[in-house]
Amino acid sequence: MRVVLRRMAAWAPGLETPEAWQGWAAAPAPLRGDGVPDARFLPAMLRRRCTPLSKILLKAAMEACNDEERSQVRTVFSSRHGSINESVGLLENVARAEKLSPAKFSHTVHNAQAGLYSIATGNRQASTSLAAREDSFGCGLLEALGHLERAPDRAVLAVMGDVPLDPVFARLVEEPACAYAVALQLATGGEGPGFTLRVAPNPEPAPVPPWPPAVEFLRHWLVGTERFEIPTPRQRWCFARS
Amino acid sequence: MGMVHALGDEPEAILPRLLAGDQSRLSTRSDLVPDRALIVGAVHETLPEIPAELARFACRNNAMALAALRQIEAPVARALARHGAERMGVVMGTSTSGVSDAEVAIRHHQETSELAPSFDYAQLEFGGLAEFTAAWLGAQGPAFTISTACSSGARALATARSLIRMGLCDAVVAGAADTLCGLTTGGFTALHALSDEVSNPMSRNRCGLTLGEGAAVFLVTGEESGIQLSGVGESSEAHHMSAPDPEGRGAETAMREALTDAGAPAEEVAYANLHGTGTPLNDVMESLAVDKVLGRDIPCSSTKALVGHTLGAAGAIEAAFTWLVLDRAEAGALPLPPHAWDGERDPELAPIRLAVPGERAAPRERAITLSNSFGFGGNNCTLVMERHFA
Repeated sequence: MRVVLRRMAAWAPGLETPEAWQGWAAAPAPLRGDGVPDARFLPAMLRRRCTPLSKILLKAAMEACNDEERSQVRTVFSSRHGSINESVGLLENVARAEKLSPAKFSHTVHNAQAGLYSIATGNRQASTSLAAREDSFGCGLLEALGHLERAPDRAVLAVMGDVPLDPVFARLVEEPACAYAVALQLATGGEGPGFTLRVAPNPEPAPVPPWPPAVEFLRHWLVGTERFEIPTPRQRWCFARS
Repeated sequence: MGMVHALGDEPEAILPRLLAGDQSRLSTRSDLVPDRALIVGAVHETLPEIPAELARFACRNNAMALAALRQIEAPVARALARHGAERMGVVMGTSTSGVSDAEVAIRHHQETSELAPSFDYAQLEFGGLAEFTAAWLGAQGPAFTISTACSSGARALATARSLIRMGLCDAVVAGAADTLCGLTTGGFTALHALSDEVSNPMSRNRCGLTLGEGAAVFLVTGEESGIQLSGVGESSEAHHMSAPDPEGRGAETAMREALTDAGAPAEEVAYANLHGTGTPLNDVMESLAVDKVLGRDIPCSSTKALVGHTLGAAGAIEAAFTWLVLDRAEAGALPLPPHAWDGERDPELAPIRLAVPGERAAPRERAITLSNSFGFGGNNCTLVMERHFA
């Protein structure tokens, strides 16, 4: 199935404009883990409760849509770790038999960013939040394709991102620790370049990549690679421009 | 279909308890929240052990999934042989993943500065549930975990259908698992959402949730015989992180879209399984939405007062209940799970029809059921399942 990439946006510390990303794609280097975007695009009420991950994902999400599209797209939020850093504090409370904060609890659900996005933009469309370890980006795209299957006339905003994992768990996970988000607005038709996606099992060992798969996709896209493959420990994600 | 929850760990034991509205399987736990005893729907049976080669995934939530997966082992093996491992995908839902094991690991860390040795991050991260499921089954297709709070399990089934319709998979194992833990019981306590009595959905005396745990899994294929997932309806609320829109607009949209998708006239629905949490707000908005979409003649029930609100697993477990009554229908007449409550109607709620014990739906050639799941963060999903009788 071919999808049209109508609009895209990305954010990482120090890489906050399309020009900065073009420069990065020409000479890529590992991303930083520290920093959050200014979230003045959100109403003060929502901003106050926003975690670093929420600010980053919402920043990219907002920029991948124009004013009209924001409230009309279906959304897929994909993140390997989601709000687990915020859960750590609550888990420590639980371990000490302390009471939990209701607001903190509400913002540790994996779909916190989807909920915030819906409230901030008045969006009443379908939304999925998901995780798939190293395959979170690819599976987020499959879920976006699923939304296009269920509602072919409506664009889907697929957002992927993470922040570095809390030190208590970080030593258990081999991955590029960085803060980033990539947002792709996808549709079944209309203007713009597109791609096809194929997925197959990966029988080979996959080394830890220098940056996350979503950012690798972005790099290939920005430098104009026609066909590329992003391997993970379980899968090979094969992209072709069309 | 396989499932495990407070009513039991196999369909033959579960069905009579479901149809009797048996609340005797709920239990009281004092170890979940400080200074409070909670009525919960806990699994009574011993859960299976995770095989040694998958030890990194060994947590209660994955054991819960495994108890359900073992019930569909034979049909999954046949589907794998027929379609090949890479054509079988996995879509699971959860809101907790292995949090109950992470709580133990963190306590160990506080005492010794090391996480418990048996703990692996794959138990806690949401994606771990789908990867464990795929690894145990031998499925090599795409595997991911949906976590949209209380609609996760329903969404997993919707996604499974899309993966098959798009030709990305020939078979998908889809479902959900959730485990009672300090985090969710403490969080809902902090939100003042838990009831001191057994939850009492749609009653004037209702005062909140009873939490539960469990898992349900389905083998989803493109076959056109048998029970069909014929309709999916989805919406977001754009309202509040932890409270539904009191007008029930999101719920209404999800129900209408699901019926349209199925090509099913609302008046022909044989049974609707409600989200029916027993919180003051849910029941107001859901009865309003049901009244608008289905009217006042179609039998409805909430099964949450039998097994508790199993959060991320609820959509899958309730789909499993509707699947089970479709499967056991005789001559097109469905046995209906009764609405478990104290029978005291709330005059403030729309007077939708609540199924009574022993009730059967009128026989029909096309038996249509509907199941509602409405999640935290304003994420709604309604499924329509149906079976045709010659």
